[in-house]
Amino acid sequence: MTDFVVQDRALAKAKERAKALSAFRLGDLVFKNITLSAAVTVLVILGGVILSLIRGSIPAFHAMGFEFLTSQSWNPVTDKFGALPAIYGTVVTSLLAIVVAVPLGLGVAVFLTELCPMWARRPIGIAIELLAGIPSIIYGIWGLFIFAPFLQEYVQPAIIEFFAPIPFLSSVFAGPAYGIGTFTAGIILAIMILPFITSISRDVFSTVPPVLKEAAYGIGCTTWEVVRKVVIPYTRVGVVGGVMLGLGRALGETMAVTFIIGNAHKISGSLLAPGTTISATIANEFTEAVGDIYTSSLIALGLLLFLITFVVLAFARLMLMRLDQKGGKP
Amino acid sequence: MNVQVNMTSGVDAQMAQKISIKDLKFFYGDSLALKSISLPLYDKKVTAFIGPSGCGKSTLLRVLNRMYDLYPRQHAEGEVLLDGENILAADQDLNLLRARVGMVFQKPTPFPMSIYDNIAFGIGLYEKLAKSELDGRVEQALRGAALWNEVKDKLDASGLSLSGGQQQRLCIARTVAIQPEVILFDEPCSALDPISTAKIEELIDELKSNYTIAIVTHNMQQAARVSEYTAFMYLGELVEFAETSHIFTSPSQQKTQDYITGRFG
Repeated sequence: MTDFVVQDRALAKAKERAKALSAFRLGDLVFKNITLSAAVTVLVILGGVILSLIRGSIPAFHAMGFEFLTSQSWNPVTDKFGALPAIYGTVVTSLLAIVVAVPLGLGVAVFLTELCPMWARRPIGIAIELLAGIPSIIYGIWGLFIFAPFLQEYVQPAIIEFFAPIPFLSSVFAGPAYGIGTFTAGIILAIMILPFITSISRDVFSTVPPVLKEAAYGIGCTTWEVVRKVVIPYTRVGVVGGVMLGLGRALGETMAVTFIIGNAHKISGSLLAPGTTISATIANEFTEAVGDIYTSSLIALGLLLFLITFVVLAFARLMLMRLDQKGGKP
Repeated sequence: MNVQVNMTSGVDAQMAQKISIKDLKFFYGDSLALKSISLPLYDKKVTAFIGPSGCGKSTLLRVLNRMYDLYPRQHAEGEVLLDGENILAADQDLNLLRARVGMVFQKPTPFPMSIYDNIAFGIGLYEKLAKSELDGRVEQALRGAALWNEVKDKLDASGLSLSGGQQQRLCIARTVAIQPEVILFDEPCSALDPISTAKIEELIDELKSNYTIAIVTHNMQQAARVSEYTAFMYLGELVEFAETSHIFTSPSQQKTQDYITGRFG
């Protein structure tokens, strides 16, 4: 008799447990589907953006064909548009920004993690992060009213004079000094992406195990050798990631560049001359774009920017994969 | 407190001292981690440091190549003479010192580069050699660390692709390659399996014919197996220093006796 009671109780308990477990299963299922739909939403949005960009740019490509990519004309009157100056400006300003910001950013990061006295680390780190918090419109007005005139008056004449006797470079840095232009835009972009590169590099530099650094110091390395041969190789995936994030931002940056690049739809041999970028062109002209072809050309520019960013990121991935094969990671 | 350095039991006072530590005090900020340590490291002998965690063994080792200099608020007082020259002097060239006093760490620390470069990098810091000569030195170092036969076909592979024991031997090879005079081992086997441990111990036994060796270990059998001299430390003090056979058979201090028989620590 008691046996039965005990058995019954055990049975009831088992049932209860099974019930509780099935509730968990339901919860798991719901959870899985919620996260899945979140992931799918991102894909749908991305796909939607690409599709509408492609659809919007069809009239432009239909009218101009391949010439849209190679032509330098930008004539709303005759409805002839070419993207080449904008592509050129986008790529050149971004490269300039990277060339300036990467050594500077890595330098700051190395200083902050390896050399800086403890008490100064936080203030400098915070100052650099504040740089990232400045809205781009402020870089724009500052660049236009203060930085560009400063460059025009003091820096650019010196650059022009310095490079004048050197063949090739004399045309790259040919005058006159406008102040605004591709060069100035590149420098402003460099200042804007500096905090990204610095803070990401600093974060990944501080993930290097102290004992690995000690081992390098232990065979007699100087700080420079430790950084070059151990810290940077150990963290290169993160560093390249930071640089790519900065490059992505530089490629797409609109407001500040629109203010200071000069908005000239032509390719100049000189970096000091005015130019334009894809995003600056779109921002400047979308409100006044009349007619299908004009609007469609601007959307097509957007699609090109999208493609350029994608190619840059893909290229970065490829580079990292090849680096990994060469030696670092197992 | 007066430190008991037992020199009577067959330690030849005439034997060459590679390093002599005299009245060494070490501070982490304000806290005293080493309280007046004095002891010699004899030339081309293995000296083991034993003692419970936190007793200052590793700290002592890190003084010998001034590794503590990397960190602010750590400083040492007293004298550490390497061939009669005080390495604690402010004008001591640290890179040069670390070339003379190499170190192998608790965890294997291969650099993020190929096996070949792991060795060649250290050599390249001091000498500019032709490729063929460098190849020879790398091979010599890898042979010296009993690793050559296992890696000779994959010198271009990443140093990180090796097993833990191989990585540790790579680190030893790297240390040996720059031809130091003293090698410091900071618990070199504590992350390794018994077979790799045996290989490293064998290696230490071979290395001592050319190098002065100091080894910190938690493994008392290891200390007994590899060393000629043993220092027992406790709470930042040197309790006893003597020949290993003496320490492990008839220690003169009660604390040493208690520790090696496993009564505390």
